[in-house]
Amino acid sequence: MSQTVITLENIHKSFADVKAVNGVSFSVPESICFGLLGPNGAGKTTLLKMLYGVCIPDPRPVGTISVFGFDPRKNDLAIKFISGVVPQEDNLDEELNVRQNLNVYARFYNIPRQQASRRINDLLNFMELSDKHTDNIRHLSGGMKRRLIIARALLNNPRLLILDEPTTGLDPQVRHLIWEKLRGLKREGMTIILTTHYMEEAFQICDRVLIMDKGKCVIEGNPQKLVADTIEPFVLEIYSKEAFSAVKSSLPSHCTTIDESAGRVRVYSCDEAGLKDITRMLKPGTYFIRQSNLEDLFLKTTGSMLNEQQ
Amino acid sequence: MNNSNVPSYPPFIVRVSGVWLRHFNVYSKSLFSNSLPPFLEPLIFLAGIGLGMAGYLPKMAGMPYLTFLATGLPLTAAMFVAASECSYGTFIRLEFDKVYDAMLAAPLSVYDVLIGEITWAATIGMFFSLVVVVVVACFGLVPMPASLLTIVPGFLTGMMFAVASLLVTSFVPNINQFNFYFTAFLSPMFFFCGVVFPIENLPHALRIAAEIFPLTHVVRLARCFDVLTLSPVVLWDLFYIIAFTIIIGWIAINRLRAKLIQ
Repeated sequence: MSQTVITLENIHKSFADVKAVNGVSFSVPESICFGLLGPNGAGKTTLLKMLYGVCIPDPRPVGTISVFGFDPRKNDLAIKFISGVVPQEDNLDEELNVRQNLNVYARFYNIPRQQASRRINDLLNFMELSDKHTDNIRHLSGGMKRRLIIARALLNNPRLLILDEPTTGLDPQVRHLIWEKLRGLKREGMTIILTTHYMEEAFQICDRVLIMDKGKCVIEGNPQKLVADTIEPFVLEIYSKEAFSAVKSSLPSHCTTIDESAGRVRVYSCDEAGLKDITRMLKPGTYFIRQSNLEDLFLKTTGSMLNEQQ
Repeated sequence: MNNSNVPSYPPFIVRVSGVWLRHFNVYSKSLFSNSLPPFLEPLIFLAGIGLGMAGYLPKMAGMPYLTFLATGLPLTAAMFVAASECSYGTFIRLEFDKVYDAMLAAPLSVYDVLIGEITWAATIGMFFSLVVVVVVACFGLVPMPASLLTIVPGFLTGMMFAVASLLVTSFVPNINQFNFYFTAFLSPMFFFCGVVFPIENLPHALRIAAEIFPLTHVVRLARCFDVLTLSPVVLWDLFYIIAFTIIIGWIAINRLRAKLIQ
């Protein structure tokens, strides 16, 4: 049986008058990739920071938090020694070059000089940055900076990797490269916890996801299974509300959910043929039929979706 | 998972020296632009005031005026360099470059990071006091090799102004407000703490006030070293320096900790 790396129970956190985290509990077993999803301000980053002691949960109501059996409020250095952290913002030392940035951190972990040099070579190779090792940070693209920060987090061979929006703002090639690397690390036994806004990212690399909204857990589970269990498999997207009102009365009779948001109507149904029937009444180019995905689940669970049974 | 053994993360001294080395690496990247102002300013002052007016001035505190000035200026160099490192420098690392956030993701505590910061500021304070001593010694203005001992008060100056500046940094919401600190706090110290004229010449009330300011104590300490005489007042100076560093440092670190750990 696999062991549990992270356990949170009834964690609360308030900032001034904002309740950022409101009674969250979850646990992460060893060697999986766990994703925290949620809209901005859902409390994802706050939770990640709690894991390594940079954010302290409210003392009341009493909650427990444990990473590798350590309480981050007491043993933050022990946790940080065996974990790697990739923060949301790029925070490399701009004055130093690629290799020097890693060297500075190797000293924080007290890695002997020669060993650090070998480790840095391996990591630059792994992150495909070897030919950039003497480059100035200012000359790196956003994707290269991100990969370098991941390399920095891996310096001490961590058993847990904590990533806050690892691929936000990056182009598709770099995102796929980073996903591939993270999958590789997971295969080697590393436990990964990340936050993301990208449903595709969660689908691609997460074994489990937890969707949060307004500081609370909304739903948790395997992403593929959640979509299959929670939401109708097909979606008809109609691009204007006017077009929708024309077909509203002809919708399939059972198992249909409608979401109207941001000027667009999504009709969810188990009945693909029924949805296709409706499209005959719509002008070409005003609709699109697709399979439902994690994004739909996300919209549904975080409350932007109306739940009307017809 | 319950681990009975705590992973052996690096000891305190390794963590603080890691922070110190990070600052050393970054600072030395732009050594020229970093070091020219603190190096030139005291020399310009010495040339402007000292050469122009020294002939009109009597001996001060038993030494020629230029010597008097040249024994104090290494410490004002240390004061300004440490103050700007731990005000503008710290603010940029804290708010803009997020250097501390990055360091706190490594096995370092807020105390490691800030004590490393103070040690680094004290080091450059010591370094620039030495540079100024060496240059004024070349003109035969200060007794050698006794004046080389100025690096001790130079280090202490850096330390005191590091903690004072960290305390100011913990209050300012906007980087421009450091101007007030430099104009209202540091500039008066330059003139009223015994660098430009002896504090004994001040009116009685100000004479007492001068004892409150940190620069007074290191300047007096340095002059004692220069002439290799120890007077009992040095004990008061040392007590002040230690107490100031511990008390102000403790408050500053805890205030900044509240900013870094939410």
